[in-house]
Order: sequence, then C-alpha cells, then structure tokens
Amino acid sequence: MLSYILRRTGLALVITVLAVSLLFVIIHMIPGDPVSTMLGPKASPELRAALEERMGLNEPLLIQIGLFFANMLRGDLGIDVFSNRQVTDIVLGQVPYTLTLILTSIGWSAIIGIALGCYSAANRNSFGDRLTGVLSVSMIAVPAFVVSLYSLLFFAVTLKWFPAIGAGEPGDFGDQLWHLVLPSLAIGLSWVGYIARLVRASMLEIMGEGHVRTARAFGLPERWITYRYALRLAILPTVTVIGVGMGFLLSAAVFTEIVFSRPGLGKLVIDSITTRNYPVVMGSVLFSTLIFVASTTLADIINALLDPRLRSAR
Amino acid sequence: MKKTNIEWTKIPVGRRSFLQGASMLGLAGATGLGFSGNAFADGAVLKTRAYADMRSLDPAFSQGVPDEEIQAPIYNKLIQYKSGSEWGWQLDAAESIEQVDGTHINFTLKDNIGFTNGFGAMTAEDVKYSFERIIDDKLESSNKPDWSALDHVEVTGERTGTIVLKNAFQPLWSITLPYIAGNIVSKKAFESVGGKIDTTPVATSGPYMHKSWVPKQKTTLVRNPDWKGDPAAFDEIQIYPIDDEKASEIAYEANSIDFTRVSLDSLDRLKSSPPENTTVAEFPSLFYVWVGMNLSNPKLGNLKLRQAIQYAIDVPSIMQASYFGGAAPSTGIIAPGLSGHRDQSLTGIAANLEMAQKLMDESGESNVSLTIDILNKSTNVTTAQIIQANLAAIGISLEVRLHEGATFWNLGGNEDLELILNRFSMTPDPYYATSWFITEQAGVWNWERFGSEEFDKIHTDAQAESDPVKRNQMYQRAQDLMEESGAYKFITHEATPNIYRNTISPALRPDGLPLYRYFSKA
Repeated sequence: MLSYILRRTGLALVITVLAVSLLFVIIHMIPGDPVSTMLGPKASPELRAALEERMGLNEPLLIQIGLFFANMLRGDLGIDVFSNRQVTDIVLGQVPYTLTLILTSIGWSAIIGIALGCYSAANRNSFGDRLTGVLSVSMIAVPAFVVSLYSLLFFAVTLKWFPAIGAGEPGDFGDQLWHLVLPSLAIGLSWVGYIARLVRASMLEIMGEGHVRTARAFGLPERWITYRYALRLAILPTVTVIGVGMGFLLSAAVFTEIVFSRPGLGKLVIDSITTRNYPVVMGSVLFSTLIFVASTTLADIINALLDPRLRSAR
Repeated sequence: MKKTNIEWTKIPVGRRSFLQGASMLGLAGATGLGFSGNAFADGAVLKTRAYADMRSLDPAFSQGVPDEEIQAPIYNKLIQYKSGSEWGWQLDAAESIEQVDGTHINFTLKDNIGFTNGFGAMTAEDVKYSFERIIDDKLESSNKPDWSALDHVEVTGERTGTIVLKNAFQPLWSITLPYIAGNIVSKKAFESVGGKIDTTPVATSGPYMHKSWVPKQKTTLVRNPDWKGDPAAFDEIQIYPIDDEKASEIAYEANSIDFTRVSLDSLDRLKSSPPENTTVAEFPSLFYVWVGMNLSNPKLGNLKLRQAIQYAIDVPSIMQASYFGGAAPSTGIIAPGLSGHRDQSLTGIAANLEMAQKLMDESGESNVSLTIDILNKSTNVTTAQIIQANLAAIGISLEVRLHEGATFWNLGGNEDLELILNRFSMTPDPYYATSWFITEQAGVWNWERFGSEEFDKIHTDAQAESDPVKRNQMYQRAQDLMEESGAYKFITHEATPNIYRNTISPALRPDGLPLYRYFSKA
C-alpha cells in the first residue's frame, strides 16, 4: 500500500508541475498589459519600467516560469504589487474559505445522496424509489448559479433567515456556519441527486452479484448485506466521482463566492485575472491545482484502501 | 451648481406590513432561526458597500475610491470635501489655510489632533513628511502626479507651515488637498516601519480607527476614543467589498448593508417600490462617456465623414435604452457643477440625420465600413448597437468589437483603432479631464490622437488661472476644440443612484460618493 501511495503522490507532483506550467503560459498569452492595469493612467514611464522589472515581466517567458518554480520551492510566490503583501499570505488567507465551502457542500450532499441511493436500491421500483428518482434528476438539472440566486432571493431577501453576503465573523463559528448555509446549498444540491443516482445504480449492480447471493444463502440479515457488503463496494465509484468532481466544485465555488460576496480562491482568481495581477493569479492557480490533484489522489488512495484489487492491479 | 438629486422615501406603515413582520418574527422564533447575521443597523453599526476591496492604507500608494473611503475617516487632511450639492471644501486638520500667492499656501494646524498608538500630536513636520514623501523618487509613489506642482513644505512652527509650489496649481484645492494625496500621516510612525505601509496602519488620527481587515470580506473601523473633534456617530463602520451592483442591491434588501450605490436599471423598480425604511437618492456623476474617432486612421481622415458620424448618433435613444432614463446626455468631458462645463454641445444631443446625410454626401465617401471597440458590458453593448443603427441610416456599416477589461484598457497604442466607445473617471477639477487629451498623451490615453496646440496651451495655462470666470471660459473653449476636430461625440456623465436606510443620515459628495466620517444617525 505504501508503494502505491508513493507512486500516486509522485504522479500527482508531475501533474501539478505540468498543469501549472500550462496555466502560466495561457495566462501570459491573454492580451492585456498588467503594468498599465495595475498602475493606472497616472503612472510615469519610470514607474512602469520599475514595476516590470519587479514583476520579472521583462524576462523571456521560459525564464519567468523557471523563476516561478525556483521561488515556489523556497515558499516564495512573490509580492502582490497592489498591496505589497506576500502572495502566499494572500492565497493562504483565502484557501480555508473555499475548502470549507467545498467540503461542507460535498459533505452534506454525500450523506443525503448516499442515504437516498441506498433507500432507492433497497426499495427498487417502489413509490419512494420513483419519487427519489424524480427529485434526484431535478436536482441534477438545476445549475448551481440558479440555486444561488433563488436561494438568495427567497431565504435572504424575502424571508431574511440567512445572511446575503460574507463568510461570517472570524472566530465566531456559529456565525460562519450561518453564512455557509446558502452557499453550500447552492453547490451541494445537484450533487445530492448525482450521488443518489450513482449509489443506486452501483448498489443494484452489486446486489445482483454472486457474493451477495451467497451471503443471502447463508441467511445473513438483509440490512447487514446491504450496508456492510454492498454499500462498501457501491461507494467506490462515488469516491472517484467526488475526487474528479473537485474541479467542478471549484468552478461552482467561483460563481457562488461572487453571488454571495464570499471571500475565497475563486473570487481571488477572478479579481486578479481581470487586473492581470500575475503573481496572485499564479499563486491562486497553484493552490487550486494542488487542491484538485490532492483530491483525485486521495480518492484513488481511498479506493485502493476499500478495494485491495486496485492496489495489486497497479 | 444645480443639484439634481431627487429622493423617494417609503416608511412601512399599515396592517399588512405589521402582520407580515409579526408573522416573520413568529416563524423565526418557532424555528429557532435568528437574525444575528443580517440585522438592521441598530444605529451603533453602519454597514456599507465598497465596489472593490481595499488595496493599501498608504496614501502614497492608494489608487482609488475604495481606499479613500477607508482613509478619509481614519486620517486627517488639511481640508476635506464638503458634503452637499455643491463642490467645495471645509477645514479638517487645518485651523486655517490661506493661499498667499500663486505658489505659497500658509497653514496652521488645530492643536487637538493626535495620532493613535502613542505617536503624539500632529505637527507641521508630519504635514511636510506626508506631502514630500509622495514626490520622493525613491518611494515610487503612484500618486506622485497629484503633487507634481509641489516644491517643498516649509515648517515655520510646531503647527504652522507653508506649502511651496513650483508653479501655480489650482487643482490643489479640488483634487490634491481634499483627496488621497492630502492625507496626513505620522512621520514617527511611518519611519518606525521603514517609510511605507501596506494594509495595516501604524498610527491614525481621524474620528475612526482601523480595527480589522478580512481580505475580500470586510473592513471594520471603530470610534477613535482619543478624537477631540465632533464625535463619530457610529461605534463601528463595516465596509463590505461587493463588486457587483446587483449583488449589493440584494445584500441591501436582505438587510446585510445599510447604504449602497445601485444600478440604473434597478432605479425605476426601487423608486416605485423601495424597500422598507429606505430612501432612494439620485446624484449626477462625474464620469464621462464618449465615442472617439482615431484621427490617425486614414479611414477616418475625412472631416466631413467624422462630422456626419457626430450628427448621426442619437444620444437620447442611448439614454433610454442603455441608461434606462436614469442619466442625462453630456455636452463634453466636464460635468455640470464644475468649472468649464458647457450648457450645450456644438453638434447637439439628438441625431440630425438630415445634416448627417448632407455631410456624408459632401464627404464623397461611400460604402463606408467601420469598427467600434468597446468594453464588454451590457450598457456599452446596447450603446454600440444603437450607434450601429444610427450610422446604418446614413449608409455606414459598423462592426462592434468587444473586449474584456484588461485588454480594452491597453488598446490605446493600436494605431488601427477606428471608433471607440470610452468612459473615463473624473475628479472635481476640469484639469483632470483635459490632461488625457493633450498631444503628449496621443496613443497613451488620447486614443483619438487628437492634437491641438491651442488645446495644449489651455490645459497648461488653466492650471494656474485663479480667475474662475476666465478658467471657466478656457475649459469651455478646450471642449469646443475637441468637438470641432470631429473626433468626439459626447454621450453622458452617467449618474449615481444610492439607497440607504432612513435610520442613517448620509454625508455625500455632490457626485453621490460617501464621506463616511460625516455620516450620522437620522
């Protein structure tokens, strides 16, 4: 298992380097002069030249990439030219907000989705199964931005039950939780349906397999068979989907952070791209890539833990 | 200056609203849900919106309104903008200030202003340090142009001094002293941290103090207990950065903020049905929007063709379709209320298709096909589409090219530009407007490559002109020159609609921007 984890982690590092390099090139290919955008119309040519030098923009692109990685290994992602703050501090200040949002969203949707999926599989073709099916597909069909806007209008504006903006007072857990309800509802709702359908399909497939029939023949209780044997295997594709789905979750978080004016990586990326604030863009991209790669790697490792065949197959 | 702000107020009364409120409270109680996160302003806390997050609390590096909205309540200047319908200033840290001649301004500081964190009383040395550091080349301050006329500050006593200018500079009173570059910092405090700060102030002196900044979420100011001037009205001011006006309207309606600018397309709805306890107020804005024509492009080398375009564009249609009737047409780059504003433009506001067609015929041009570059925003897209239709009426086909922000703002160097729909921000002095259209700015911010020796001379001379009547005429002539070149069709100065709770009494500049240090409870 250890060698599998090491191999998988090594691959993750290679993917990270390639992805960040590619994104670096793409970002620098977008038209737009960061110096003009940053300094505004009043900047003198001397000031522009000084900033170009400070940002390393007068170097060839390959050298800029090399410098970025060399500095990154020293833990230095550069300085934000607007605020003179360390990019690492800026990005690390936003990562917890996005991670909390994503993990809360996927957490509650996984719990409800798995429960609904199990119920549907255990009560196949019942009224409850059909109702769950309709609800699941409906949830999948509604995009996160629609849920964001309508939940905001209904729960925040009309009912005034939940706050419309922000992430809550730092240090006040209750307030932060309160501010998390609507954004995590927006991101997680479609995942409830998605996970419920996935778990149901996997469960039905597993329930028809030989080892489940054998367990039944031995007289094991149905509940035990369903939750102890079938669910353990049926959940494998769900773990994989959640891992790979981290990219979708991150993109959904971008929109949700904007709609709810929440701090977070998504909002930081958008703000810094529109101002061509390259150091902050690259810092944000690096951390987003790390989150994505780490989640897919973790999903693979969890899968390998749950299913020993996967370890030996690689 | 004539002010055009109009207010609509709605106070919640009546049985239905009472019952709705009571049932909501009952429901909240029954479900255990509280209102802690979105309570109405209780008078002790002012919650408001900034259109962007703070970037710097160092006056030498602050770049715009969001920074100044935080700095103005925590620092002092010699003078501050007055709230109200007319542009003007009032004394702040200065007990007195007087322009003794074109290049010398004497000031005396009040004796009751001190810096926080034990950095002592404000002295003339602090004023000297604050202003001179901005023109120090080593600091590389982005606000150096605001103090371009400063030679030095002479300290004549503990609280007295003289600002010595290299040349007479009238915008000093309308831009430099009452805005970002006029903020006075503590010399001792700044020197103790190496001469500049980022987002954490070392010492402040205003009625409010900086308490905390949660990036991308909130800046909190609290009362300065040592402030000896008129007491601050609020225990706390919480400023939330919300980029999108629609999002801030929703935040307001959800009671998460108490004051915000709103979008023009929401104005009708908010006026006819304002949220409870709300005032809707409209203010004229200083921004200026225009259609520019690149004079160095051979396709636009024909003056008659350019004039035909000027006459073909129907500004009233643009006001209705793009600005929902919430903004007024403009006559130039200088807004009403400022020196140099023209009551009328040379080519008129409504389209004159007869004249446009006549000019088109005289130009000898046919099958004209042009492009217009615009920033990709719905207002601009609608405006461009109207212009497209206007020009089609005189046989000109127009292709609209959309750009996102950072790309658009770098188009100036492109000599192939044809038509451009542009929008510049503005400060309350006409010098700021003309500075972008001098010959030296061609290809930088003068995208039309307009060049006029007379215009350049007016721009230089008017900076020093102290006679308001003459100065007014000079800037009017400057705009005539722009329009006569055929390179400009002026569209609008836009508008600033605000909404706020009736529990607060906002202090606003004539263009509707907030002066939080003067906000009070209603």
